Amino acid sequence: MQHSFSKFAKNDYARYPFLKAAAKYMKMPNLKIQDLADPGLKGILRRAEERLNEAILSALVSRNPQHDADIELMSFPVAIILATATEDSFVKKRYALAEANQTYEDLKEEPREKVLEFAQNFVWKLEVNSTRSIPFECSLAFVDYLRNTTHLRDKHWKLVNRILSCGKVYLSIDEAARLLKEEVQRHIEKRLELKELPRFPPNIMDAAERIKKLKIEIIGEQEVEGFPKTIVQEAFPPCIKALYQSFSSGRHLSHIGRFTLTSFLINIGMPPEKAIELFRSFSDYSERMTRYQVEHIAGERGSRTKYTPPRCETLQTHGVCVNQDETCRRVRHPLGYYRRKSRTA
Amino acid sequence: MFREYYVKDFTPNQNIPAIEKREFGFASFEGWMLRHKTFSNTDELASFLRDSVPLHAYVSGAYYEDPEAEMEKKGWLGADLIFEIDADHIPTPCNKIHDEWTCNKCGFSGKGIVPEKCPACDGEKFDDHTWICEVCLASAKLETIKLLDMLTRDFGFHEKEMRTFFSGHRGYHIHVESETVKTLDSIARKEIVDYVSGLGLETALHGLDENDLRNLSVNDSSWRGRIAKGMHGFILNAGPDDYKNIGLERSSATSITKLMTSNKDGILNSLSGSRPWRTIKGIGPETWKRIIEHSAKQQTANVDTVVTTDIHRLIRLTGSLHGKTGLRKVEFPAAAIDSFDPFKSAIAFKAGTTTVFVSNAPEFRLGDETFGPYQNQKVDLPTAAAVLLICKKRAEVAQ
Repeated sequence: MQHSFSKFAKNDYARYPFLKAAAKYMKMPNLKIQDLADPGLKGILRRAEERLNEAILSALVSRNPQHDADIELMSFPVAIILATATEDSFVKKRYALAEANQTYEDLKEEPREKVLEFAQNFVWKLEVNSTRSIPFECSLAFVDYLRNTTHLRDKHWKLVNRILSCGKVYLSIDEAARLLKEEVQRHIEKRLELKELPRFPPNIMDAAERIKKLKIEIIGEQEVEGFPKTIVQEAFPPCIKALYQSFSSGRHLSHIGRFTLTSFLINIGMPPEKAIELFRSFSDYSERMTRYQVEHIAGERGSRTKYTPPRCETLQTHGVCVNQDETCRRVRHPLGYYRRKSRTA
Repeated sequence: MFREYYVKDFTPNQNIPAIEKREFGFASFEGWMLRHKTFSNTDELASFLRDSVPLHAYVSGAYYEDPEAEMEKKGWLGADLIFEIDADHIPTPCNKIHDEWTCNKCGFSGKGIVPEKCPACDGEKFDDHTWICEVCLASAKLETIKLLDMLTRDFGFHEKEMRTFFSGHRGYHIHVESETVKTLDSIARKEIVDYVSGLGLETALHGLDENDLRNLSVNDSSWRGRIAKGMHGFILNAGPDDYKNIGLERSSATSITKLMTSNKDGILNSLSGSRPWRTIKGIGPETWKRIIEHSAKQQTANVDTVVTTDIHRLIRLTGSLHGKTGLRKVEFPAAAIDSFDPFKSAIAFKAGTTTVFVSNAPEFRLGDETFGPYQNQKVDLPTAAAVLLICKKRAEVAQ
């Protein structure tokens, strides 16, 4: 359904500058990167840098009604450019998260109609619930729901625990706002995925350096992977232990079982050569196939992506998850288990 | 014989949407596998099948920019949402007593479900000879009916978006061909699998409290209503053994059975929403909890989890012959599933007889005729029955 007139005004777009229609209110919607060297844009640039600083400091981006709406609007695309210029994946992720967090805070205060219109910007099928027997304010097409919930951990987001009827998942307006947060975060992360970097003017490079410095001050250098140098078998999660045992006794492993085991071993630092060695004990072992598969998983062939093992939830679906223990309850990924356990083992 | 079918009877006029974007794969009688094939129309496909006569023929549920390229370069555009229900994966009342296995190490053999370890030598690898029986297929059909109901009522798929098939062996397939689900990733599909199989279901999150069943009714939406339906079915038919089997203590099971039986009509009426719930003295939360848990389990649809979540998977081609039976994969309208007879509709070889030497075969039915059991004997059989036994490695063409 298309609304004939929008409930959003310029001030709203100043709060949600990433919405498509916000461009209409921007003074320079086609701003070029080189234009940023212009001293006339100092105010915008200052606010853009502030957006990133706030993101790093508090994972939020302040919304002050005293702020000039024009600067608010324009400083968003500039902040995107700045974040890109840092080439720092943490800064980029953090910025997307901060804008999304702030959006959720703001949406919670909005009347229902505005939330619905906000959702329309992302082509969600979010509607007011008119089925009396179902005690929820609105409903969302299940595909939109899944796209924004599969990574959420709490059980109450799991589709099987929701009311799903005629393709619609029922939820409260606050829950809808919560899921819109996920959508906004993904949307901004996507905008930050720039493959080829343009040349930035010096003032942008300086600002990017300042932001990176702040990040190191506040967050510290990111931990590198966090796995011990030698393999600690005692720290294997129960699922991997079971796979390891059953294959060392010559039993047949399912495709997913074999994939899980191989990718796990590769990821904790076993050299592919040693993994191939290990798989020799399979009775259906073929040197050529095994080498191909292992090197593929290690990212030495084909798409060159290094594969990680499936996360716990996926392993549960496929029946690979067994003998859950106390640590399992605190992690959502077999590598997370290993990282945690290997520190104490 | 497979050649005869692909030359004479295979009709290429079947509906494969966007055939040019799909990958085809074939397994030959000699044991090799051919993948990454493409066809621009069904006539080309039919002519390929006539010339090459594969043992198994598959087509991807996925659509690609370039289906002929190697896996990483294909350019995935989307995939149908596919479910497979296979008797191999579900417990059946026949306990697969018709399946035979032989230990690879010592040659010891037995019947039924393949054991973890050989009882004679502790070996862990087996050769198995499976069979398809009416009980197995009826169980698979029941799961399919439950799944269809969820896909229609809960997921809201239209009849026209869902296609139902008999696989030609031990199961059923459902393909959802709809724009809305095409681009769902593997993790989203996993959530759908978890929904239909009830994995991670927390009854409390559906407002189901064993201390307070007020308002619970079969008319409720989603899992709540499904559980109520399961409870209705269970309570309607349960005897003392059933109450014991759901985990109630032996001592209390008898008295609970009595109480449940004497209050049966009232409970069933409450479940159908025609009478308010009343507390029944002597039936506590622990009992209700067990009944709820059991009922939820009864309502799940046991699908093959890997098939649905694999967005690149090759699926058996409709109309092609299953190499393990010589039966066809056939499509039928979902609404007709109750009366669908796989042993009739999937027959590919409709005429002629063949003389075979049968090593052993249990009694079985094809079409309206019943055959066997056979043990080391020469018999004249309709070609379809002969092919089934040959494919199942129970017979050879008699010289």
